[in-house]
Amino acid sequence: MRRASLPAVVVVLACVIVLAAGPLVLPPFYVRVGQLMLYSAGLALAWTILGGFAGYASFGHAAFIGVGAFAAGLVELQLSGLPPALQLAIGLVAGALACAVLSAAVAYPILRLRGTFFAIAMLGVSHVCAELNNNIDFFQGSLGLNFPPVAPVSVEPETFFYELYLAAGLVVLTIAWWIQRSRFGAGLLSIREDEDTARMLGVPTERYKRMAFVVSAVLTGLLGVIYAHSLGYITTDSVYRDDTNLDLIVYSMLGGMGTLFGPVVGAFVLVFVIQVVLARLLDFHLFATGLLLVIIVLAAPGGILGLVRDFWARRRRDAAMPAE
Amino acid sequence: MSASSILRVDRLSKSFRGLKAISDVSFAIDPGSITSIIGPNGAGKSTLFNLITGYLAPNSGEVHFSGRSITGLATNRIAGLGIARAFQIARPFRDLSVFENVRIGALFGKSGPRDVTATTARALELAGIAHLADRSAGALTVGQLRHLEVARAIATRADLLLADEPCAGLNPTETAAMIDVLRRIRASGVTVVLVEHDMPSVMEVSDRLLVLDAGSLIADGPPHDVASDAHVIAAYLGTPDSSASPSLSR
Repeated sequence: MRRASLPAVVVVLACVIVLAAGPLVLPPFYVRVGQLMLYSAGLALAWTILGGFAGYASFGHAAFIGVGAFAAGLVELQLSGLPPALQLAIGLVAGALACAVLSAAVAYPILRLRGTFFAIAMLGVSHVCAELNNNIDFFQGSLGLNFPPVAPVSVEPETFFYELYLAAGLVVLTIAWWIQRSRFGAGLLSIREDEDTARMLGVPTERYKRMAFVVSAVLTGLLGVIYAHSLGYITTDSVYRDDTNLDLIVYSMLGGMGTLFGPVVGAFVLVFVIQVVLARLLDFHLFATGLLLVIIVLAAPGGILGLVRDFWARRRRDAAMPAE
Repeated sequence: MSASSILRVDRLSKSFRGLKAISDVSFAIDPGSITSIIGPNGAGKSTLFNLITGYLAPNSGEVHFSGRSITGLATNRIAGLGIARAFQIARPFRDLSVFENVRIGALFGKSGPRDVTATTARALELAGIAHLADRSAGALTVGQLRHLEVARAIATRADLLLADEPCAGLNPTETAAMIDVLRRIRASGVTVVLVEHDMPSVMEVSDRLLVLDAGSLIADGPPHDVASDAHVIAAYLGTPDSSASPSLSR
């Protein structure tokens, strides 16, 4: 739980420096792929605070992408005179607040459900939010919502949003890391393992679940706000997406459920495969994701990180054999 | 006596759909004692533990711990006051190591300042599983899991340990080891209440026996007095045959 923190920090920082330099050398297509990889990794990390750490796998986190994006867009409509950076900042605050309110409101009833029931109820939350957003004129979900251009004129928008996703992803990673190492994180872990026993040991399970839910929702909403700005124009369908709902689970399963870096690895691999390897077969996206999910569940329940761990464990065992 | 008792159960009753699981049960537990609650299957022993720890709310009656009422408090609040429970069927956090399991007990449990690492080490030592600290909990034997269950419970720094059949399914060697652990726990200042079926170990370790039958308390006293009580023998064997007595007191 607490091993190898210094080397991990060094590796992460090195990766961040390499990633930050990406737009300097990559062609525009790969910068856009990179954006999507970083955005997805950020979402996967935000998801895993609840789904991975506490074991409450949500199948409806697109609700928070959508609510965050539309809250920010509607507020920013009123701010047209202000400098773009300030508009973005206020939009982020608005998106975070809206997601905090929504998640706190649904947390109480919905976190009484466990396992599949919770997952499906979250799918319901996502669909209800999307329908309300689409059908209530005030939200402009079907009409669509414009976002102000927030990238400075001296920077390519692709590069700007790439770096913004990287910074946001780093913030989410740091928060998730801190949570994992904290007493709060240990409590979430015990909830995932056995909620009744956790309560018996004095873990305030209801409060911890709600906290994890709200943190996860707010971080997801923040990324949704950035995503909306990078698109420039959104409708209900562009943010409340069921393939996002599915992907967020797949990222963690592919990389390693419950781990910190598993969701990042899973998001990077899946986005790269879909966008680059299967680029010409884009219609097969959901098919490929579904197939991958089945293969992982059957062949590698620990995900990519689980395979790596098994590989090292086997090597260590093999190395120890002759000595015995 | 009742002023100094650590746990006081006052006219506690609980029914499930009209069936009385616990009916008008009262007793008080002295600090520093080991008390065993015995009784046939379905007598209400586990229900009693569930009521004390807040898993179930009683229909009537009160539970007092260290002089304050804990009736109706949430389970985690009761744990925060200093009551720990070891489950009958061990429920380890299987993906975690033994150390991490016990550490979660030390991180939470009774509120107040603590040294988590020292508390964890002490609990592992007391339960006799310090040598298994790095082992994955999923890889332990049934006997080792029982010790883990107890270690995690006392790592909460509880003043009262409720142990639900800690010796069930253990062989004689393992049972002797568990009894040793329970004695050490008592010696460290923790009051112990057991639910136990294994009569020889009950007779050996307990200061006092409470006997439940069909949800009612039918006997209360020192082990040897209770074991020869005609009501108790009748409850266990269904016939007031005094020849059963030696098998109860071995």
